[in-house]
Amino acid sequence: MKGPDLLVILLFSCVLPPQGWAAEQPAPDTEAEQPEPEVLTVATWGGAYEDSQRRAYFEPFTRATGIAIETVPYDGGIRPLKRHLAGGEVTWDVIDMIESDADVACAQELLEPIEPDILLPTPDGTSAQEDFMKGAIQPCFITHLVFSTVIAYNDEAFPGEKPDSVEDFFDLETFPGKRALRLSPTGLFEWALLSLSVPPEQVYDLLSTPRGMELASERLDSIRDSIIWWQNGEEPALLLASGQATMATGYNGRFFHARVMNDVPISVIWDGQLIGFNSWAIPRGTAQTEQAQAFIAFATRTDRMAAHANLISYGPTRDSARKRIGLHTDNRVAMQPHMPTAPGHMDHALMRDHRWYSKTVDLRERWFKAWLSEKDATP
Amino acid sequence: MNHHDVQQMTYRIAMVTLVAIAVGIAGSLAAIGFVEAVHWLNDLLLISPYARVQAGNQPGLVALATLVVPTLGGLLVGLVTRYLIRERRGLAPPDAILAAQTPGPTPGFRSGLASTLAALLSLGSGASVGQYGPLVYLGAMFGNLVGRLRLNLRHQRSIAIACGVAAAISTAFNAPIAGLVFAHEVILRHYSLRAFAPVTVAAATGYIIANVIFDRPALFLVEFSRVEHSYEFLLFALEGVLCAGLAWVFLRLLRLSSRVSRRYIAPVWARPAVAGLLVGLVALWIPEILGIGQETLRFATIENAFGISELTLIVVAKLVLTSLCLGFGFVGGVFSPALLIGILFGALYGTVLPHLVPVAYSGPVVYAICGMMALASSVIGAPLTTILIVFELTRNYDLTIAAMVAVVFANVVSYRAIGRSLFDLELRARGFDLTLGRDKAILESRPIRDYLSTRYTTAQGMESVETVRQRLAREQRAEAMVVDNRGILLGVIRLQAIINSAPDTPILRLALRDFTRFDEKTSVWQSMELLRGFLGEAVPLVSGEGQLLGVVPEEAVIRAYLEIVHELREEENEGA
Repeated sequence: MKGPDLLVILLFSCVLPPQGWAAEQPAPDTEAEQPEPEVLTVATWGGAYEDSQRRAYFEPFTRATGIAIETVPYDGGIRPLKRHLAGGEVTWDVIDMIESDADVACAQELLEPIEPDILLPTPDGTSAQEDFMKGAIQPCFITHLVFSTVIAYNDEAFPGEKPDSVEDFFDLETFPGKRALRLSPTGLFEWALLSLSVPPEQVYDLLSTPRGMELASERLDSIRDSIIWWQNGEEPALLLASGQATMATGYNGRFFHARVMNDVPISVIWDGQLIGFNSWAIPRGTAQTEQAQAFIAFATRTDRMAAHANLISYGPTRDSARKRIGLHTDNRVAMQPHMPTAPGHMDHALMRDHRWYSKTVDLRERWFKAWLSEKDATP
Repeated sequence: MNHHDVQQMTYRIAMVTLVAIAVGIAGSLAAIGFVEAVHWLNDLLLISPYARVQAGNQPGLVALATLVVPTLGGLLVGLVTRYLIRERRGLAPPDAILAAQTPGPTPGFRSGLASTLAALLSLGSGASVGQYGPLVYLGAMFGNLVGRLRLNLRHQRSIAIACGVAAAISTAFNAPIAGLVFAHEVILRHYSLRAFAPVTVAAATGYIIANVIFDRPALFLVEFSRVEHSYEFLLFALEGVLCAGLAWVFLRLLRLSSRVSRRYIAPVWARPAVAGLLVGLVALWIPEILGIGQETLRFATIENAFGISELTLIVVAKLVLTSLCLGFGFVGGVFSPALLIGILFGALYGTVLPHLVPVAYSGPVVYAICGMMALASSVIGAPLTTILIVFELTRNYDLTIAAMVAVVFANVVSYRAIGRSLFDLELRARGFDLTLGRDKAILESRPIRDYLSTRYTTAQGMESVETVRQRLAREQRAEAMVVDNRGILLGVIRLQAIINSAPDTPILRLALRDFTRFDEKTSVWQSMELLRGFLGEAVPLVSGEGQLLGVVPEEAVIRAYLEIVHELREEENEGA
């Protein structure tokens, strides 16, 4: 009967300030049975993002429950999760996945079900169902964050005219220099079509046809020799900072961190930003599903989500948390204007179609492999 | 102005506005519902590329759906048309035009719903037909419904129908001015303020509703700065002329296809299924021809999305299959296919052009848009509407002027070659000829029977000349109708012919056997034609069996003409 105890603790911790609570709390039953202190393993994305999670979620959770959090690096996709589950012993307890990946993983039964009742109401009593963004609460994942993959550039690389559109990303003549792109079949083709002035609403319809993919390939061919591939979310900002790349695609929060916290001259182009969502999920077969659920319940509390948004510019999926976004916890920068959903940023934004994404995994990978190998074929 | 007049006027304005808003809302919501349902079916039935790519790991399933869905869809359409639509054909804009122009009976609401269902099944299962025709009829259907209410408004039915049509077009294209003009240009055929005001309200209502709840990308969206060289306008004009030729080919193919279907497939309900199977077979090879093809339409505005041979192939395939689907009885319009064929043809023209005429030009996009509008306007006979669609969707003045030139040249040629539009051709085949304007068509549609008089003199064939002479003198007439005892008209006697005849001659021997007569179907227009050279007092009107039903005095024909023409002029010049 571990679950109810933990939930009771969480309900309390919702009312009482989390700090100082650890000392007073009674030792949970589990601790009496298990001599070692409990550790929960979270697979997440590293870098500035993980730091913000540590401060907003992991440390307060440990203080509130005594359960320590350890992280393992995860860069997205289904394959790493599959590999881990195939390994036998499941040590990942919680995983922070892109929504479309979570959707596929759920369909392939790689995830534990999550009870929707664990989600706590807002401080003023509004139920989680009403407070969360539509579709955020799913049978085996809870979508907690809005992020955006954007194009950014090193401001010093272009002292004259500044790039301001997706089209400029493909314009090597006016804006010379290397382009950093993620080595993954995500986002590339959307930008290729957006740069051909396809309206965002129709991008996925066109990409569904062989002709659309062909057009995207041709568009990417035009910058093929100037691409630097990145794999980890921290890299794009570093590539821009070092001057290796003049323009890069990457997660808006990382660019924000580099610009605001580390004073790197990075500017974001919101035109054609690709809006995506991150979801908490529990890998199937972990021994600590109760604790994992307790963590998710804790990390999706209004105050925790707001605290996270005040550390990095990713939008929370709870309305109540969105209303609590203010200044950055450390340097007092107003956070709202850096959110992907800020007014003006959404004018030409593309919502990542997570249904399309989850159903086209094979197709996209095949296409990407073929496109990469074309390069080797050309002398 | 007395108190009563003010009251009347207030009532009229308030009621007309209410009618416009109510019909506008109904037409607009119906249009949205219809378009959404088509998309939903296309996704469900693996017709849309979006759904097909998501089933990409089961290529067998996609191929099977490509063959089976249009075939079964065709079968259902055939059955619905056969058993649920009283007219046994899809209802379309010509029916809306007829209902607005003439006071006669219109297809019932049930037939209208069944026809909409047939259109939904046709479009949902990927047949190569258009969605705007059914939308126009849907709007007209609601207008017609409101037209029947006893609101005591003049020209209530035609105005309400125009309101429904304007709202549907305004919503579907998100172009209220085009909707407004379409209702006048195609449906009403006049621009009186009395109709203009409510139709504007309905179009605006449609636009507002579309903006609040309809979230579909615009039909096309292009980036175009300006026409670079003035000589390009010559090229636009030439393109218009070529599009008129293409429209001619399209109409020929349509006629050929319905002739072929009639000759080779006896059961009417089976025809759409055959067309569906053919569509499926071709779609295995050229998937672009399935359905409305909005992806293809978008690609046509992107440079280098197609090669020249691909464009030619799709233009030809789409022309043939659209004709096939419509000729074989799928229910749907011609406008969307014409837009698609036109834009692909325009893209082809714009791509080939630099090879033929080696001068600088503004790129293929503007030529694609010109081709789209030139062909579509020739087919539906709505040059103003199509020009306005370009303007409202792009808000680009240069593009609109370019399209205008192409549209006008296309219409000038196609008007001569094929007539004003496909709709008018269909109406002419049904006996309502608008080629010489509304006056003639309406005079053609009104039977002279309505002006029948039963005051005439009759005579039996065996009666003597003297008896008849006396009777005519008594009744102060110069003519008598000679009938047998069953009332069948045998001949006509004129006083001048019997004035000197022997008194006991049987009257039948002297009767005129070759005389002008009308029947129950004779229209006002025909009666005027028949009256040429007529010297008598009144023309007898007989039933199909030859029975005398009454006479139409010469004066009544003139009265009929004056009344109808006066009514039309009044309708066209009414204030609000």
